[in-house]
Amino acid sequence: MRHVASVAGRELHSLFVSPVAYGVLSLFSVLAGMFFIIFLNVFEQYYFMLQRDPAQLASLNLNDGLLREFYGSLSIVLLFMIPGITMGVYAAEKANGTEELLLTSPLTIWDIVLGKFAAGAIFIAVMVGIVGLFSSALFFYGDPEVGRTASGLIGLLLIGWTYVAIGGVASAIARSQTVAFLIALVGSMTLLLVPGIAELGIAGTAPGVADTLRYLSVQLHFDPLLSGLVDTADLGYFAIMIGGFLVITKAIVESVRWR
Amino acid sequence: MIQAIGLTKRYGDLVAVEGVDFSIARGEVVGFLGPNGAGKTTTIRMLTGFLPPTDGTAVIAGYDIFSNPIAARRAIGYLPESPPLYPEMTVRSFLTYVAKIKDVRRVERRTAVDRALERTALTGVERQVIGTLSRGFRQRVGLAQAIVHNPPVLILDEPTAGLDPLQIGEIRALITELTAPSQGEAQHTVILSTHILSEVDAICRRVILIHQGRKVVDAPLSELTSGGRTLDQIFTQYTARDAADPAAFPAKPIVESESGSAS
Repeated sequence: MRHVASVAGRELHSLFVSPVAYGVLSLFSVLAGMFFIIFLNVFEQYYFMLQRDPAQLASLNLNDGLLREFYGSLSIVLLFMIPGITMGVYAAEKANGTEELLLTSPLTIWDIVLGKFAAGAIFIAVMVGIVGLFSSALFFYGDPEVGRTASGLIGLLLIGWTYVAIGGVASAIARSQTVAFLIALVGSMTLLLVPGIAELGIAGTAPGVADTLRYLSVQLHFDPLLSGLVDTADLGYFAIMIGGFLVITKAIVESVRWR
Repeated sequence: MIQAIGLTKRYGDLVAVEGVDFSIARGEVVGFLGPNGAGKTTTIRMLTGFLPPTDGTAVIAGYDIFSNPIAARRAIGYLPESPPLYPEMTVRSFLTYVAKIKDVRRVERRTAVDRALERTALTGVERQVIGTLSRGFRQRVGLAQAIVHNPPVLILDEPTAGLDPLQIGEIRALITELTAPSQGEAQHTVILSTHILSEVDAICRRVILIHQGRKVVDAPLSELTSGGRTLDQIFTQYTARDAADPAAFPAKPIVESESGSAS
């Protein structure tokens, strides 16, 4: 545990002494702000449009009308930004030659893998914290449901952590950071777009396979959280995905020794 | 302190290292010689636990690298061929991190880092970012990370490669100082891999020469050069013989019995 913290600490240290962390956080804040304003305007227009229709107006709320769209868009922003954060975690160690230092230190492979994941997880938590700040502004001017807002943020956190785990696999495979970025992006997109592929391609011919593929999609398990539905099955899905990618990362890092 | 027992590394059909045995006692300073590609780095990587041997094993400070890898690695200070450094960290923060992952206790960490900085003459640049340092300084930081946890075993893989003569002199002086028993420091047992023979002359008392993955010479330096031969001639004799017909040059390996094993 002490070793995990040491590895995570160094990883965060490197992120924050380089401009990468600040660049990513600034860009993310700007994008989050833009989306927030856009969806706020959309919501406002709906609100005025529905003034003549009290029944519809009653069903309009900040969670469905604004936060759901806001979080949904940010999950796409995360999809593109996280590979940039994770691309270096293992690829840079290989480039610096520090891989040899890590693997000849009294650390287990799990210390390394968990430490690096923890650093990424903490960084994503900071990003989701920024989203939380924007969301909290709504509590001053309206009354969104606390529970649904929180579950949406949890969903964003879990989807981010899943992408971090995928990014770790990509960085462990790749020798260069650019390749790691691309593999992570393609991998994360695949996990997001799987249901579309299932629907289009094989739903008619092999419904069983299509159902399985659809189940694998991140979106399918993110949506309920956006609606405020915290189901252990969805949480389990994220746990299995993150755990699975960490196990794969561990195997890849270990395989360096056997080459 | 360091025991290699039939260390072998094969990559498919390619044999990189074959049945290397040796035993190095506490406080010995051994020059590990061989031409480029002889298997020096591979042997060293097996000793440090970076590469698992295909066959054989090694025992470091009493710990087997297979059955007790963590304890064995804790006993080693290792400077790989290219020093493992994070260019974005400062010298001090890097050494503190290495001290952490090498299990230096929290209360002793500061003194350990201070001592390593002092012994490698880096105290003046401790706040500098490693990426901005010159090559000679980086090599010193590499040495500092190897000794920060005061390990009983020090393994240095070509520590002077790519340095200018002045820097080579500095690093050599540093290694000599590290290997001399001083101010209550535990005496290090050192393996120094190199293909620069004058380095061995200057620092080491015993020589292990490997060629094509096998150990061909293992003897004290004084004994090797007693017949008036230079290390140069010995090196050439054992490493060039494959150029001629091997049968025509039946040089019997000189293997000293100090290690208790003959090959």
